[in-house]
Amino acid sequence: MSESKNLRIALTKGRLEKDTVGLFEKIGFDVSQLKDKGRKLILSVPGQNIEVVLAKAADVITYVEHGACDIGVVGKDTILEYGGKYFEIADLGFGRCKFALAVKKGTDFYSGYGVKTVATKYTNVTRNFFEHKKMDVDIVKIEGSVELAPLLGIADGIVDIVETGTTLKENGLEVFEDVVPISARLIVNTVSMKLKKDAIDNLVEKMVEALEKGEN
Amino acid sequence: MKRYDLLTPEGTRDLLFDECVALRMVEEKLRNMFLSYGYTEVVTPGLEFFDVFSLKSRYFAQESMYKLTDGKGRLMVLRPDSTMPIARLVGTRLRDETFPLKLFYNQSIYRANPKNSGRDDEFSQSGIEIIGGDVAHADIEALSIAIEVMQSLEADDFRFEIGDSAFFNLISSKLDLSEDELSEIRILVQNKNYPGLKSLLEKFGDSVYAKTLIQLPSLFGGSEVFERAEKVLPDDDTRFVLEKLKTLYNNLTALGVQDKITVDLGLVSKTENYYTGVVFMGYVEGYGMPVLTGGRYDKLIRDFGVDVPATGFAVNLNAAAATVMRKAKEPLAKRPDVLVYADETDIVKGIRHLRDIISKGYTADFADFKCVEDARENARKRGILRLDIVTSDGFTTENL
Repeated sequence: MSESKNLRIALTKGRLEKDTVGLFEKIGFDVSQLKDKGRKLILSVPGQNIEVVLAKAADVITYVEHGACDIGVVGKDTILEYGGKYFEIADLGFGRCKFALAVKKGTDFYSGYGVKTVATKYTNVTRNFFEHKKMDVDIVKIEGSVELAPLLGIADGIVDIVETGTTLKENGLEVFEDVVPISARLIVNTVSMKLKKDAIDNLVEKMVEALEKGEN
Repeated sequence: MKRYDLLTPEGTRDLLFDECVALRMVEEKLRNMFLSYGYTEVVTPGLEFFDVFSLKSRYFAQESMYKLTDGKGRLMVLRPDSTMPIARLVGTRLRDETFPLKLFYNQSIYRANPKNSGRDDEFSQSGIEIIGGDVAHADIEALSIAIEVMQSLEADDFRFEIGDSAFFNLISSKLDLSEDELSEIRILVQNKNYPGLKSLLEKFGDSVYAKTLIQLPSLFGGSEVFERAEKVLPDDDTRFVLEKLKTLYNNLTALGVQDKITVDLGLVSKTENYYTGVVFMGYVEGYGMPVLTGGRYDKLIRDFGVDVPATGFAVNLNAAAATVMRKAKEPLAKRPDVLVYADETDIVKGIRHLRDIISKGYTADFADFKCVEDARENARKRGILRLDIVTSDGFTTENL
């Protein structure tokens, strides 16, 4: 089998990118280009046959699903919202937070008979959550600060990513129920996994090893 | 009102020139291959009743099908698959035929994909079905033809992968799972989602079956997988399936292309979950999804009233054509050899000459122009190398 092929990895720009680059550094890769990237969106890791693509979270999924990139690092939040067909082979542990249902402090989301309205940026996650509960809700898509919606009275609650809960607190909201925990995941194109098995196994092994080292 | 008269629906496309030639080339190649192996072609309707695809086993999610109603208000779908209509055919009109039946098809498939996914909602599929017959014989026959299909695509690199859905079915049946959990686990295994599997199966603690299920998707690769699996598989039933798969693998490698055949014990089909035994997939370099999928479906036809085992595979012809296009060094759509021109007064002679040279084996195009200069210009633009000018007393040939 020809295994000399390049691996192309899509990283979610921002925090997950930084954490992944940190992980690469721990493995011993030359990450000089990744750290000093300027405005470039395609970067290489010298001596490793690895090419790094920087993209928005949802695009990481698209590139991996279509095989334009072999591997991707993306948050579970994006995976849950956008779905798609690819292998989700490892939990990288970093980028930890959670989806939660939040309400105005002191209110009971489930009280009363009326159909509730939920504001969110993540309509699929929200729909799945309430479908699972066999509960009908109206979902309103909000693009910006979702915390505003209950304050302005157009929603009974919100489903959003919660890290520390500070933003909620400052706006008089609180977590009513956890929806699902989130962390960074390693996803792999289904064909690449087979055609470039050795190269991918090798890289993933190194990444997992470096992660475990970091934990101890 | 917004009008859509200049657009094609998302997920559909017009195929032009080379795209069309490439598609017909692979169709032709596969048709000839299947015919030479003694298969008979069947065509099933593009429209079927919804019920055909929504049996109690619910093989197709309803949101993945295009639906419409007939004149009596009954729910219909655009065929999302060819195997189930063929199973219906076997359960009805072909039930008294001599088995094994060897059928092939070449027709369009319609799937409602999520919007903006960039996937084809309509694509051509060609494949074979072996209905009945001895399992071991039918399996190796189907697989060897499938491998020949993969080779015929002339991709830079390809992999042919085999597995057996019995592993998943046997192991998961030993765990007390609800229907929802089972389908969730099936998806996790398909997606090789190790973290997800681990957390969902946590509640089974030290159960050897739960542990095996977590490892199942990682059991893929070359022949070394068989050794690894022997240590992992929990009981005689699954080890028996492994033995059979190993025999099949050895038989296939004995037929050649050893380095292209891999094994994946976690192979559970993506969209069709009617598979019960050996399953397989073909991948080519440069195409992000499987080009060929197939497997054994011993219980499907029973749902249509005839209890007969079967196996088969389908090739995504649009994917196969894309591979041919990538490899092509020159345009696939050929220009005619000759352009034939005649003045209006000699138009009948012109047509006669056209027919004459075509009967001699040339491809020829009749120049629909008023004057010879325009015809010459047209031939030059299109790269046609020969212009025949027909007059009342014969014809002259210009080589351009």
